[in-house]
Amino acid sequence: MTSVSHSAATTWSEDQPVKMRVPWHQRLQPANLLWLFLAGILVVLIVAPMWTLVVSSFTDAKTGGWTLHNYVEAYGKERHITALTNTLKMGAVVVVLKLAFGVPLAWACTRTDMPGRNFVRYSVFGAFIMPPYLAGVGWILLAGPNTGWINRVWHSLSGSTEPLVNIFSFGGLVLVTAIGGFFLVFVLVSSAFEMINSEMEDAANILGAGPFKTAMKVTFPLVMPAIIGSALLSFLGAIALYGVPALISIPARYPVVVIQLTEFFSFPLRIQVAAAYSIPLLLITAAMLGLQKLILRRKGYVSVSGKGGERRIVKLGRWRWVLFGYCFVVVALSVLMPLFVLLLAAFSDSWTTGFSFSNLTLSNFHYVLFEHSSSQKALVGSIGLGIVAATVAITLALFIAYIVQRKLIPFSGLLAFLAVSPYVVPGIVLAIGFYAAYALPPIALYGTYTIMALAFITRFLPIAFTTSSAGVRSIHPEMEEAVRILGGGRVTALRHVVGPLLKRTLAGGWLLIFVPAAQELSTAIFLVGPTTRVVSVVLLDLSEEGELEKLAALGSLLLIIIVAVVALGMRYLGRDFMLRRS
Amino acid sequence: MKHAITYVAGLVPAFLLAAGLAGAAEMTAGEKQLYDAAKKEGSVTWYVSQTTTEFADGMCGLFKKKYAGVECNVVRASGQVIFQRLVQELQAKAVQGDLMSTNDDGQMLQLKEQGALAQFAPENLKDMVPELRALADKENYWITSGVSPLVIAYNTKLVTEAEAPKNWTDLADPKWKGQVAIGHPSFSGSVGLWTVLMNDLYGWDFFKNIEKNKPQIGRSVADGHNLVASGERKVALAPLPLILSDAILKKVPIGVVYPTDGALLPPSATAILKDAPHPNAARLFENFLLGPEIAEYFAKDYRYPLRAGVPLADGMRPLSSYKTKSIATADGIKKLPEVQEKFRDTFGI
Repeated sequence: MTSVSHSAATTWSEDQPVKMRVPWHQRLQPANLLWLFLAGILVVLIVAPMWTLVVSSFTDAKTGGWTLHNYVEAYGKERHITALTNTLKMGAVVVVLKLAFGVPLAWACTRTDMPGRNFVRYSVFGAFIMPPYLAGVGWILLAGPNTGWINRVWHSLSGSTEPLVNIFSFGGLVLVTAIGGFFLVFVLVSSAFEMINSEMEDAANILGAGPFKTAMKVTFPLVMPAIIGSALLSFLGAIALYGVPALISIPARYPVVVIQLTEFFSFPLRIQVAAAYSIPLLLITAAMLGLQKLILRRKGYVSVSGKGGERRIVKLGRWRWVLFGYCFVVVALSVLMPLFVLLLAAFSDSWTTGFSFSNLTLSNFHYVLFEHSSSQKALVGSIGLGIVAATVAITLALFIAYIVQRKLIPFSGLLAFLAVSPYVVPGIVLAIGFYAAYALPPIALYGTYTIMALAFITRFLPIAFTTSSAGVRSIHPEMEEAVRILGGGRVTALRHVVGPLLKRTLAGGWLLIFVPAAQELSTAIFLVGPTTRVVSVVLLDLSEEGELEKLAALGSLLLIIIVAVVALGMRYLGRDFMLRRS
Repeated sequence: MKHAITYVAGLVPAFLLAAGLAGAAEMTAGEKQLYDAAKKEGSVTWYVSQTTTEFADGMCGLFKKKYAGVECNVVRASGQVIFQRLVQELQAKAVQGDLMSTNDDGQMLQLKEQGALAQFAPENLKDMVPELRALADKENYWITSGVSPLVIAYNTKLVTEAEAPKNWTDLADPKWKGQVAIGHPSFSGSVGLWTVLMNDLYGWDFFKNIEKNKPQIGRSVADGHNLVASGERKVALAPLPLILSDAILKKVPIGVVYPTDGALLPPSATAILKDAPHPNAARLFENFLLGPEIAEYFAKDYRYPLRAGVPLADGMRPLSSYKTKSIATADGIKKLPEVQEKFRDTFGI
């Protein structure tokens, strides 16, 4: 008996893990099946479209053979190269501007005694809810060179006929792109500020540093990873945005990549060339991700992680009003001014006449609600796609995050990598990949809601995964183990323990996806069919017909619905959602 | 009492039947046949760049009123965008539109050569203005569904009639610096043809000169009209019906110049797609486009009616009273890609 146990022990220690012949049907355990299933979904959502994109960039459209000709066609023209360099230039300036907006506001709202912090928070949140193309239309009304309100005030004050500001310029393009995305910088950097332990700042103070020096030498370096991360996301967002360039860069004569891509999508249709032309966007983002890793690896940031100790706010003295002034300018530029003119235009017969009671009307709302051929359906479509994309993405992400966090199966890290990888794929490139992979026969999903839902789910999966992953990490496995001891399976644990515990986190993530998905334009633009138009696309068409008042009305309706959904969510989540994490 | 109600109730279907018969009686046999088949198909999807969304929705509304039971869906975008969508669908072998209306009949020729169009001669062709009918395809692959001359629009608040440009080359006058708006030939079908016409008349220098005035480039041709209407720009290339209807019906301060070197007359064309999901509804709709209801609707909106004998709206000049120029369909196709490319080079967008 002893000898048997002894020999068993040696066998165990000699070759670990035990090499046993497991019959194949025993390998098909539920966990493995789940892994296969999830991996399959991710292949459909991410690997296949991206692979098709790369392959088709090397495919001859006529013969189907291998070719480099698409690249020659894509880059053989000076104009096409200019669009590429223009895009990089624009992206870089937008990042600088977004940081200049987002970081001071985040610091002011989290670490100082500035007055009106909640007002600033809510306004920045407004910038999150307002889609960039609506802000763009607002700014066209404000700063059109001849009839923009700012210019008309300027003309009447100065007697000049030259415009003071012109939205149709590089500066205008950069401003509108930046105000449409700095909330991300704000959110990421705010949460980093809230994690910092004040003890280190106290140490600097004790050693004789003033508040400014402390901020520069201690506080900001500590939030550097958040700043760099948000800068990267800002850049990606800026170069892949479609709506703002369509509105502004064509009249501004500043060609960018997304506009050039639409040329390849016009007649004669050259998907392969479009694919070749979008590869650099992918390479650039991959390179930037590498750069971010390189920068952050060289330094330790352990002090930022964890819950942090006591946080003290900085007393600004009379500077608090200066800071508030700056914050007010930022929120006025990004939300208050464009929103105000947009609402005014929505209720006006003609936006150029300015405000008067005779000019007030509800007819624009009546038109977009009851007369326009596709806006009613588009509202339903947009909201529906937002709900589906958010729900599916969160559910899928929860499963993946759970498996990854609990290391339930081998190679779970691969799932995590796949789930966050769409981060680096610009929306418009993603759409081209989906088009190439699924629109055409044999799958032939062209013009269906399915292809759009799939693309939206993919686009927002990284947000879903990051949220769910953080949530799962915060739950101790003990509770699930209790379920399992009592005989429940993994799925029961997930449904009755993890899910309910994460309700708030998941609902927050759901809103974070729903809002942008209901407004998504960049991904939608190449995927919509005649009967599956979404609001963003209808708005773009209205802008092209110059129907700015009707556009403003439809845009306002979309905003109202989104705000209503978010307000419901906030009631459920409490006021803290997006505004403060602690 | 109860008896009376039953009696009246029994009459209602009879009345409805009679009304239905009366409606049907006005239809010709061919029309009736198409209508019955269209009702089974349920709807028609119309791809249109010929008119604005609002106007196209109005036409669809009239169609639904006349042919109850057949839904009408408008999908409106600028000329090249609609065409691109259709090409995508043809490639995907998933055609979703039933018929298409465009201001660039060159697109129709290309589709015809691809074998994407269906041949159909609507009954109402016989009542058309002969000159307009002659602009269509000789083999009936498409019909002429309208003419919207491209002219010069100016803002009457900011520009007097005397100051306004007289011909196309006047748009290059330095006094319009920062005040001109034109469309983009790669987005709009009729602007494409206009670009071809200007290049034919004056060579590419025309555009190099215009560029010195830094024109605002819009996507569609309606864009320029709206810029002038709002006063954002003083002069623009614009379609005549938009200017007249806005000026007269909506009292917008906008006026027309019929350029002395010739307004561009792009015939709008409508064709049925060979793989149309609702072939009968499409044919019914195309015939309807040439019918009396649309002729009246056109005339009311300051467009040239397609039917002979329908009077022009007040304030409209007969087509023969001013100089117009057209581009031959095959010519347009041949020259368009080159001018689109040149346009992008000159204007940098």
